Amino acid sequence: MLSRRSVLAGLASAPLVPAFARAADPIKVGLIIPLSGGAGRQGQDVTHAVQGMAALINESGGVLGRPVEILVRDDESTPAIGVAKANELAAAGVAVVLEGWNSPVTLAMQSVLARAGILDITMISKADAILASASNPLAIRLNSANVQDAAIIAQYLGSKTRRARIVFVTENDAYGNGAQQGIEAEFKKAGLDYTIAQTLKFPFPQTDFRVEITSIRDAKPDYVISINANEGAGLPAFLQQYAQGQVGVPVICTVGTVGPSVIETTGKAANGLHSADIYFPETEPFASNPENKRFVAQMQKQFKTEPDKFMALGAASLQVWAKAAAKAGSLERKAVAGAIRGQEIPGTIFGTVRFEPNGQMQHRHFVFTVKDGKIVVES
Amino acid sequence: MTHSLARLALAAFLAALGFLLPTLLGGSTLVYDTLVAIAIFAAMSYGLDVILSDLGEISLVHTAFFATGAYAAAILTVTYGFGAWTALAGAVLAALLLALVLGVITLRTREFAFSLVTYAAAVVCMNVASNWDFLGGSDGIVGIPPLDLSIGPIELTAGRSAEFWPFAYLLLLLTLYVVHRFRRSRLGQAALMVHMNPRLATMCGLDGNRIRLQVFLLSAVISAAAGWLYAFQRAYVGTDLFETYFLVLMLTGVILAGRRILLGPLLGTALLLSQKSFASLGAYGDKLVLGVVLVAVLCLCPRGLASLWPKVRGFTRRPAQSQSQSPAAADAAPTEIPAASTRHA
Repeated sequence: MLSRRSVLAGLASAPLVPAFARAADPIKVGLIIPLSGGAGRQGQDVTHAVQGMAALINESGGVLGRPVEILVRDDESTPAIGVAKANELAAAGVAVVLEGWNSPVTLAMQSVLARAGILDITMISKADAILASASNPLAIRLNSANVQDAAIIAQYLGSKTRRARIVFVTENDAYGNGAQQGIEAEFKKAGLDYTIAQTLKFPFPQTDFRVEITSIRDAKPDYVISINANEGAGLPAFLQQYAQGQVGVPVICTVGTVGPSVIETTGKAANGLHSADIYFPETEPFASNPENKRFVAQMQKQFKTEPDKFMALGAASLQVWAKAAAKAGSLERKAVAGAIRGQEIPGTIFGTVRFEPNGQMQHRHFVFTVKDGKIVVES
Repeated sequence: MTHSLARLALAAFLAALGFLLPTLLGGSTLVYDTLVAIAIFAAMSYGLDVILSDLGEISLVHTAFFATGAYAAAILTVTYGFGAWTALAGAVLAALLLALVLGVITLRTREFAFSLVTYAAAVVCMNVASNWDFLGGSDGIVGIPPLDLSIGPIELTAGRSAEFWPFAYLLLLLTLYVVHRFRRSRLGQAALMVHMNPRLATMCGLDGNRIRLQVFLLSAVISAAAGWLYAFQRAYVGTDLFETYFLVLMLTGVILAGRRILLGPLLGTALLLSQKSFASLGAYGDKLVLGVVLVAVLCLCPRGLASLWPKVRGFTRRPAQSQSQSPAAADAAPTEIPAASTRHA
């Protein structure tokens, strides 16, 4: 028979049980990225990287004493679907959403997540409007900005020649047009006497570039600048068709578009192309960074793969959020954003990272050339 | 009189039940999100339904009308700081203007040529939007404020999906009412005659081109109103509004249930979006399901899933009928089905 004291003791301790359970409940983290279509393969790689980083964070005690659980959704590179998935994750009670391969999808999701009071960290999408949108005053982005990328392209070309004919082959969307405008502005700023012989615009899903390649040959340029974020299909297709066309003019791909998966898919046709990037796992200063070494080992152990830049950005997004939440002592959107924007965060895959007050992460770029199917870093 | 009152009461009851649907389904955010999307995209599809069912043409430019409504809302609120009511008026006017221009050009053609010309028009519209800074170019327009339709002291605002539901539902009901009235109107009857029997229409003194243009204008306004609300719900408009995602949604929504059925586009859209929200098989799986369902519907019941209803009803009644009817009467019954169902073929 129950005594009055035991009943009272039971009632008093009852709220403690769910409270304890809540403390140990996993923190849900949303991940929205294309898992199908042209960017599907890269999206799956980024998903693995985020899951790998979640495993490392959980091994180290989680965030605020709670494990992290990743909820993955496929945006199908379509803004309307991205919005639906953002709403779905908001309904699932996520603390943060890591998102963004295509800029239009990111732009569409931003305001939906902001209205739902959920912190939104852009991993990869590059359009300038992402950080300028009034609908998301707490925007954060890890990938380099178009303006940063444009400066390195102009610097590289300027070191080769100060007068040249250039053809742009540009993806006709927020990312592509913004990138081209940025590069042209940097040409002017550097005082380079470049003639834009032609600008060939194409839609993101395009994989047949034979007409464009004929136009490039007719324009007789000194350099071709490719702005193509369709790393899964469009860019390898362009590079293969360009090599078959034997145009013989050097191709410079915009920053971050040439990862190992692109080189692997493109095959021999990738040899000789130039680009720049922000992360190489086997090159200094990354090679000796203990956090990077731990991440690379985890990826090899869990997924038997070596991470590329996109994977590093995905994993670093989760890592930066986890460190900021720990620093803020809260999962609340404004508090965590405040611990990132304009702040310095040590101990990440990228070393100690600095964020500008507008939420943009700062980067150092490395120029490289593809030789014998391998990336050879020049500077 | 009593009969029409009963029908009105039934309609009112169903409308009230529909409004309570999110609550009846649990009231989760996902339920609200899905139902708001169904209401908006169904309203969008009715624009195309009017063209497909009543003019017998397949328009591929209706994404442009949907986008026009959304862009008008975005420009008027973000660039010029106007309110949602002005944005609605702007969306309607812009869609009418675009439909007038496109209608004059495209409605001279018929069938395959009409579809091809309307597709070309949609591509032109998308390229204009992608490259014109006034329309936000390829970045689109961000920062659309929450919906505010307040009138004096009556506050009518919406930011999140649950708050959007009354507005989306009202838009859907209004659209249903407009389409219902249109089909009973002189214009609706004339459109059907122009579609089914153009010679008879000419003999009756009807100007086919004029009627087609009027229907085209009406359909554009319906899709644009949906685009107007969608802009506030998504808070961002971009050139993706012209993409095939919305076109496929419209076409499938109309074809799935069957043409010239008042609730057809609503049921079709609801089936598609519910599967994606509550029973998704992933992007590839969903597309596979959509493809299989479309092929099955078009091959097995080209007049849509609703055309199966008389057969199902006939099948379920047959045992009872076979006991009461003579063999001759039972044989005669099925012959009525194709006769009735070919009415709008």
